[in-house]
Amino acid sequence: MNQRHHRHAWVRQRSRLAQAVGLGLVALIATAGCTGPVRSDGVYASKAAATAEAAASAVETAQLAVQEAAAGELFGRSLAQTLAEAASDAGDAQATFDAIQPPDRRSKVLRGQLDRLLTPAASVLADLRIAARWGDTAALPRLAAPLPKLAEEFQRFEEACR
Amino acid sequence: MRKLLEIALGVLTAIGGFVDIGDLVASTETGARFGLGLAWVVVVGVLGIIVYAEMAGRVASVSGRAVFDLVRERLGAGVGLLNLAASFFITLLTLAAEIGGVALSLQLATSVNYLLFVPIVGLLVWLVCWRVRFELMDNAVGLLGLALIVVAVAVWRAHPDWGAMLHSATHPVVPGTESHAAYWYFAIALLGSAMTPYEVFFFSSGAVEQRWTRSDLLVNRLNVYIGFPLGGLLALALMVAAALVLEPRGIDPSHLSQAALPTSLVLGKLGLALALLGFFACTSGAALETALSCGYSIAQYFGWPWGKLIKPARAPRFQLIVLVSIALGAGLVLTTLDPIKLTEYAIVLSAAALPLTYLPLLIVANDPAYLGDKVNSRLSNAIASAYLVVLVVASVATVPLMVVSKAGGG
Repeated sequence: MNQRHHRHAWVRQRSRLAQAVGLGLVALIATAGCTGPVRSDGVYASKAAATAEAAASAVETAQLAVQEAAAGELFGRSLAQTLAEAASDAGDAQATFDAIQPPDRRSKVLRGQLDRLLTPAASVLADLRIAARWGDTAALPRLAAPLPKLAEEFQRFEEACR
Repeated sequence: MRKLLEIALGVLTAIGGFVDIGDLVASTETGARFGLGLAWVVVVGVLGIIVYAEMAGRVASVSGRAVFDLVRERLGAGVGLLNLAASFFITLLTLAAEIGGVALSLQLATSVNYLLFVPIVGLLVWLVCWRVRFELMDNAVGLLGLALIVVAVAVWRAHPDWGAMLHSATHPVVPGTESHAAYWYFAIALLGSAMTPYEVFFFSSGAVEQRWTRSDLLVNRLNVYIGFPLGGLLALALMVAAALVLEPRGIDPSHLSQAALPTSLVLGKLGLALALLGFFACTSGAALETALSCGYSIAQYFGWPWGKLIKPARAPRFQLIVLVSIALGAGLVLTTLDPIKLTEYAIVLSAAALPLTYLPLLIVANDPAYLGDKVNSRLSNAIASAYLVVLVVASVATVPLMVVSKAGGG
């Protein structure tokens, strides 16, 4: 009887341990890609660099899509989809970054610098998305003209922050 | 002549059916971020799946029974259940990712939000699983998947510096902008995408569905030894295309549309149309395979009637599991969870569960009670054991790398 009681207790303990380990793993995996709180300007700068990198990727994607569309290499619907995703990526990157509280004044300056790049980039990408949805492919190269300079500035910003 | 045609069809289907959403995402993303620095993992993964798929096909051909059926009988209900739980969870996640992949391919072609396609895709997958003959289903999606060869043609037409590419593939370095943790995280993702568990279950169950016998061992070997490496070349082509076009521009792909840009840049609208057809076919094929694999694994474990050869009324539990799995997969995508992120998690977690899938198969393939004189040779045991060590290391490292690299983010 006593032996059976011990065995039951051991099984219960083991099952609780397995549950705790399982829950811990799920929590770790679920939060692996999340943005955490920022306590130092170094971490804030690295988040700014990652945001600039994501925005640059969206800008470069849009540039490539416009280049292909101008050469008649993309279907209208694929072009519209690609530009909509690029605009959405840039917007998401800005929204995520702006939601992070800057830990000090230096970080707030950095936030301002990056926002001065993110806002026009998001605006150009939104204009491109609208033109593509309207089927106005002729307007795309003109609308995309600021993108190469923005891409360069994002790259410079990222290098400065790393 | 008929046998020869059958073999050729099998090989072509194996090539076209090799790539799925996991390969599309992992190959394009790693090519764009690491160039050809992770090409070696594709080679390692393809060799691994060759070793174990050949084993699974041989077990099914000689014993006339599929893998799960034998695993439970040979290793007992407890070990079998562990194997089943890990594999089923991963296969279900993969099914959700594949349904999302089909919907994303349709979105790219129509510019209509992918969420609207998800219920339709789920319904069509279920109808095909229920009504269409196994051979027709397998051959049709496999052959359509060959459209992805267009990516390899685009790479060839881009006239890359082959010498430099070979050098970067054989002398891998971690780019300055990437961390070592992210490099190894993506190495595990690539391994998981190449050796994902459902491939083995579908291959062995398919062999039983097609009534393979000892006389089909040659077909099994040719499918695996020719079809799989050529299919692996398609995954490599996706990586090279991304390394040539996306990496120099600093594009980190997070959408299927970005995977198509290198092909359309080189081959124009025709190339894009074929790439989209290839994306659609390979994700559709994999959605069917994973849906059936969900049914196969559970029905085989519990010893219920299963398969497409028997009428649905005679295998109701198998059909019900397939239906519920498709509904769960589609439901998961409808929560608006990003299908690309879902794919990344599915392939990485798949890598974590790989030893649980492959160790029982290795044990069964060495049992003369099932395989007689067709048990593993010493060479195949040596290679398979070496792979198991690699899989265990990858499995143990998966979650820590996921946390340290922030799921590959940095």
